[in-house]
Amino acid sequence: MAAGIEANDPADKRMRLTLLGGFLGSGKTTWLRHQLHHGALADAFVVVNEAAETAVDDALLGQSAELVVLAGGCACCEAKDSLIALLRSICDRRVSRAADAPLLDQIVLETSGLADPAPIIEAIRADPMLVHHIVIGEIVVAVDGVYGLRHIREEALGRRQMELADRLVVTKVDEAEAGELGRLLATLRQINPGATVSGAMKGTETALPDHSGVAPEVLADLGNGTGAQPIRALKIDIGEDIDWTAFSVWLSALIHARGDDILRVKGVVHTPAGRLLLQSVRRIVQSPEMLPETRGDTPEQDNRLVFIGRGFTQAALERSLRHFAGLGPDGGKGS
Amino acid sequence: MCSSCGFPAAPGHWTEAGTATPHDRLRARFRRAQVLQSILPAYGLTAHDGAQVPGIQVGTLSGNSTIVRDLEEVWAEAERMSGKAIDPLDPRFIGDDV
Repeated sequence: MAAGIEANDPADKRMRLTLLGGFLGSGKTTWLRHQLHHGALADAFVVVNEAAETAVDDALLGQSAELVVLAGGCACCEAKDSLIALLRSICDRRVSRAADAPLLDQIVLETSGLADPAPIIEAIRADPMLVHHIVIGEIVVAVDGVYGLRHIREEALGRRQMELADRLVVTKVDEAEAGELGRLLATLRQINPGATVSGAMKGTETALPDHSGVAPEVLADLGNGTGAQPIRALKIDIGEDIDWTAFSVWLSALIHARGDDILRVKGVVHTPAGRLLLQSVRRIVQSPEMLPETRGDTPEQDNRLVFIGRGFTQAALERSLRHFAGLGPDGGKGS
Repeated sequence: MCSSCGFPAAPGHWTEAGTATPHDRLRARFRRAQVLQSILPAYGLTAHDGAQVPGIQVGTLSGNSTIVRDLEEVWAEAERMSGKAIDPLDPRFIGDDV
């Protein structure tokens, strides 16, 4: 079997799963409805998870080709088994479809507002069947433009959802007060510098106000896994001639030992096979993607990794990596 | 998949990405074993990958040994065998005497 399946490899026929999260009432369904209506995710199979016994969201999402509601439990805990069973049945249907039926290649999972995305990804990656059929694409998290700051300040779960996102969609931009919105954006940039941030108004993409120079909110420890130390984002330069194998040994050890503290790792690393986009969420490393080669100079962001978490310093990470790669503290060979 | 031992049960581990040719893959396996051999002895452990069978052999100096699938399992097994977490941010890896 070929090692390292890449998510954008044309030979990789696995379905891409987009995880849509966000705190209660943050506008997940509104955003999704718009995406379905405008066709961005129109061909996707939509799975909606609701913590409540009575489902409402399916009535709102009539646009989607196929939609299943998983009600009465959150997919990251009590309804995890039902979610896995449901995803397996989608995979079964896909492989046994009629020859002329279109091939399903996208799933959107809208989680309940009380779901932590990490255990869901972990469960899918750990399932021996699903791992052959589903690759985690993107984690989109809706952030309430009006109450977002309060969620970050007071709700450990709300904050955790935002920390884990690849893409943050700030909703209700039209209803938010400008000063508050600026502070929210600055705070989001601080807790998750790796994510792309966009604005939405009833699902339609909207420009966000300029927030340069706005001070982010000073965040208190919320307990419940948010830890005593503040979350920091730092960048380490792994060098042009990084030995990819030694680097992967180092990063796997680091994630194993410090997975609770290292929330995200993101970056492009040069490997013998080309430029590779690496992303992790706590202890889960998403299937690395091969990126197209660039012409001319190496892009500035290559071989620089962003680490978001707590309990480490840039110097410690760099020294530790050099040790694993067999380089001296100054970067030269030999110790 | 190897029909005798069931390896690999899942698509390649992320650490095995980044190698395009069989030649690169083989070289990466030897290099991986070499890096592990420079780290694990400090914990009283050994690592071996002769590329003859799938997996990486992790053992103790007293001869206890097991074969694991990928690096993720190496660290879990090393932790179990040595009773200590192998933390790259341990002072032994980041100290001035490195």
